[in-house]
Amino acid sequence: MHLVPGHSRTPSFPLDGIKCVLESFFIMANQPLPLSQETLAQFNRSMSTEPGASGPPRRRLGSISTRRSSKDQSKDQPHHRPLFLRSMTLPSSESSFLSPTVSNSHISMGKRFSFAGWHQGGRVSFSGLYLQQPIQEVYVENTYRMGPEPGCRFNASRTQQILQATLDSYLEGVCYSPDSCSQLCQMLADLVLSKLKDVNPPRYKVVCQVVVGQSGKQGIRVSSRSLMNPNTDNYTSAVFHNHSLFAVALVHGLYFE
Amino acid sequence: MEEFHSGDEVSFSPDEASNVVKECIEGIIGGVDYSQNKVNQWTASIVEHTLTQLVKQGKPFKYIVNCAVMQKSGAGLHTANSCYWDTTTDGSCTVRWENRTMYCVVSVFAVAIAL
Repeated sequence: MHLVPGHSRTPSFPLDGIKCVLESFFIMANQPLPLSQETLAQFNRSMSTEPGASGPPRRRLGSISTRRSSKDQSKDQPHHRPLFLRSMTLPSSESSFLSPTVSNSHISMGKRFSFAGWHQGGRVSFSGLYLQQPIQEVYVENTYRMGPEPGCRFNASRTQQILQATLDSYLEGVCYSPDSCSQLCQMLADLVLSKLKDVNPPRYKVVCQVVVGQSGKQGIRVSSRSLMNPNTDNYTSAVFHNHSLFAVALVHGLYFE
Repeated sequence: MEEFHSGDEVSFSPDEASNVVKECIEGIIGGVDYSQNKVNQWTASIVEHTLTQLVKQGKPFKYIVNCAVMQKSGAGLHTANSCYWDTTTDGSCTVRWENRTMYCVVSVFAVAIAL
């Protein structure tokens, strides 16, 4: 797979329970294509149409991380945008439905696409970048399952222990510093998530939030309320503080059919 | 349990949610100063009101609403979140609000449920 240098490859997501969608080759010009995130953002901006969730749904279990600090209000990142980007990597052995008629369909959309080359049956976007193979739809059989299995619920106490241990080990002796703490916060959230993914029972979605602040004379209160199914879902939290900083971590586990 | 691919799949709209959140915050701590006694009931009412407003929209989502209120004293505050979910249907939105004496950060996470 040939990629333009300077563009990072997107990480591949775990394949368990994923339904992939066969992408039709007669694609609308404004439908997002599987590209790396930067090129896709560029593509979407230049299209200046809303990259809506049109077409068959594609379910992905992927991680999204965000960061917010109290001081930078001016940089309001379009934080919801990545949700519409469906960048995927695929094994290159997937068969492609490429046909010569694709060029006609593109032109009929009102855009001129330059087909710079057809290496290994790869498609090219309007900007000349090579696109990845289309995603094959995988149909999963019905499991006829109404709820999680008896031993497979979200274990709040075990999660709490993991959370507390992670916070303690990671933040022991760390001093608050305004430049590095935003990255520390993000890293902590990702670290907790990766640890939880190992112990997580199947069919559970996880939301993890970390708040880190400087320990001063101020008061702070963090509260959370959620609308969820008490039979299957749960949450835990852990707090850490030392002389210079404090950290609060919240984890919610939500069952999904 | 058959899943209906009716094509009517709703995805979370962060803009709508952030408007709801902003109105709730304004309504509760709009013109007041930080007070240690009251902050408890402020955060509780912010999350409760936000949650009820979101539920009133009638969308098929589970919600998590998180609120942090901090007094302004020159100290720094960072929040981060990391989520393992279906990126096509689920989403989150974070709203930062401040006045003269305090910061308020509210995060809303919406997780789709299969109908």
